[in-house]
Amino acid sequence: MTDFTIEIDNVVKRYAEHVAVRDLSLRVPRGAVYGLLGPNGAGKTTTIRMILNIIAPDSGTIRILGHPAQDPTITDRIGYLPEERGLYRKMQVRRVLRFLAELKGMKARDADKRIDMWLERFDLKTDEKDWGAAKIDELSRGMQQKVQFIGTLLHDPDLVILDEPFSGLDPINAQALKDTIIDLKQRGKTIIFSTHVMDNAERICDSVCIIARGEKVLDGPINEIRESHGSRNVALALGGAPTTAVSTVLADRSLVSRVDDSNRYFEVEMADGADPQALLHRIVDTGATVSRFEIVRPSLHQIFLERVGAKGVEMGISGHG
Amino acid sequence: MAKLWAIVKREYLERVRTRWFIFATVFGPIFFGAMIIIPAVMAKRSKSTVEFSNTRILDATTTGLGHRVADAMNRGRAAGALAPQVVVLKTDAISQAESTATRQVMKKQLSGYLIVDEGTLRGEEVRYAGRNATSLGDMERVRSSVKEAVLAQRLEQAGIDSSRVRDMTFIPLKLNPERITDKGRGGSGTVSIIFAGAIAFLLYMTIVLYGQNVLRGVLEEKTTRVAEVVVSSVQPETLLAGKILGVGAVGLTQQILWVITTVLMFKLRKPILAKFGVSTMPFALPEISIGLALLLLLFFLLGFVFYSSLYAAVGASVNSEQEAQQAAQPMLILLVATAIFINPILINPTSTLSTVMSLLPFSAPIIMPLRLALGSVPWYELVISLVGVLLACWGATWLAARIYRVGLLMYGKRPTLREMARWVSYAR
Repeated sequence: MTDFTIEIDNVVKRYAEHVAVRDLSLRVPRGAVYGLLGPNGAGKTTTIRMILNIIAPDSGTIRILGHPAQDPTITDRIGYLPEERGLYRKMQVRRVLRFLAELKGMKARDADKRIDMWLERFDLKTDEKDWGAAKIDELSRGMQQKVQFIGTLLHDPDLVILDEPFSGLDPINAQALKDTIIDLKQRGKTIIFSTHVMDNAERICDSVCIIARGEKVLDGPINEIRESHGSRNVALALGGAPTTAVSTVLADRSLVSRVDDSNRYFEVEMADGADPQALLHRIVDTGATVSRFEIVRPSLHQIFLERVGAKGVEMGISGHG
Repeated sequence: MAKLWAIVKREYLERVRTRWFIFATVFGPIFFGAMIIIPAVMAKRSKSTVEFSNTRILDATTTGLGHRVADAMNRGRAAGALAPQVVVLKTDAISQAESTATRQVMKKQLSGYLIVDEGTLRGEEVRYAGRNATSLGDMERVRSSVKEAVLAQRLEQAGIDSSRVRDMTFIPLKLNPERITDKGRGGSGTVSIIFAGAIAFLLYMTIVLYGQNVLRGVLEEKTTRVAEVVVSSVQPETLLAGKILGVGAVGLTQQILWVITTVLMFKLRKPILAKFGVSTMPFALPEISIGLALLLLLFFLLGFVFYSSLYAAVGASVNSEQEAQQAAQPMLILLVATAIFINPILINPTSTLSTVMSLLPFSAPIIMPLRLALGSVPWYELVISLVGVLLACWGATWLAARIYRVGLLMYGKRPTLREMARWVSYAR
């Protein structure tokens, strides 16, 4: 038994036009909630597809739960929610779910019991209405997404891979998904999810790996990553709208090297050798009301922007996956 | 294997449950039945079984020709059958009697009326008007009856004894037509041609309909992105195989149900036809040996696998129905080209065209069964044809599996042929 659910070593995947993944190595600890972060086109989906053995790497090795990714028994222990979601539209919900369970090696009879349990859990089966007997295209979009979560989790997988799970979710379903992820983690399952929304990742993940242009930028537990990026950041919140004077202070490159401006909230990265106290003085001198001034570790968002950079983000926009 | 079975099961059950399948399966035999019954009923209509008692003969001659015609029309019919009514009248009263009779025909009190006059007596013209004017049999009977009556009249005028005239002119001649084809003579020739044509047409229809069904299935999985979930659980080849097997089984089910109901209807044809007032059928069902049945099945399966795997490759390489229709054209051209030659080959099954088409892998699955149904085929031609189709199947599935694997997860613009060739070269 290894301590890692996923071990990827020196994996390369080339396509005719470009290199999708180059020399990627990473470790996903058992029982972790692991974020695969990167801009669009960074190679997240390609990496996930290689983990799922949908495509094979040109070189390098991938081991899942201690087995090679090509091991056919391994797929039954993985649950996968693709980024673009969809199901057989004309099929009955219960039949779709039974089919998905059978593809994971479950017996139809065992699947039926769990289907009912999950339908009830996601309010798709109540005393008034059993949506399990409805056809997929009779369901609202939110309900269809719930059905797809159920399909992902029905066979009680040890490894759950969610590709951009929060995209297109309404707040209620997003909360239901978060609760489910936490529940899975508590039951010792490993969850990987890819996203380009750093806030989600920061709140849920134990560890992350940031990739851009097919290469790993950094990886590790979130706390360590933030720690290693120093405490040269200041969280600043103002009582009112920022004046030009405040903007001038924040634009002073001898004091501030970078600002993430969210109108009344700023995440400020101090310039080398600059004193945060000096910054506070200058801002108070402008007459602005400071409602928060705190020396913080940089957010994942900041680290991401710093390490990947606007260039990396733009590079990715044209690509896919 | 359990997963392949799950896919086959889904493909099969979801299709068999559709209204379209149930409709086509139930109405297919009714349609075939109509194809058999309608000609029989038509044939009946053109036979002179209609009562002539509802026919009125307007006789403007003074020679009693009308009564002779009525007598001739009723001759050879069951005893007690009523003869047509005869109205003898003057020439200038004809138009009035005609319009009365016309009204009565319109009210269905009469089925028709016949006008015999001097012209008829001269053997020049006789007029008939009625509802059954389009029935070839009825009209033939009217014509021959009038002819017989005129002949009898002339013979009597020539001094021949009237009792002899009656016997001399009664000639209930029956024509038994028999067709001679390239294969020689025999009414059974027609039956086997119909049978062979039906088989070829059924194979063509099933391959086209269910081949396109495979395409649509693949496209649906691709556009709804279900494919991505499925291939994370099974190999794309398994999904492809399960789809082709499942859809093929649906086609086969439909064919078997059609054949069974058609055969049953044939066995029960007497009571069914009796309801339509037809007593006999012009032909019988041909005998099929087990060997022939197995060969037909084999050719169907191979043909279906060949075309549907190509259809699947198309489905995986496009992104919409419109693109699919364009991209599927090569297959449709091959299939239609085959179908066009069904008729010429039926007419001339020993031609070079027939031999060549039954050996070419793309047309063999339809044309070889046709030849087999028409009669014996040299064993070496059968073997060459089978080997060719088998190789084509192997090639098509190999190619399709590779295109399918890559195309299924490739979205965006439709690939060029060069890109598709590159997909084939991808190991995985």
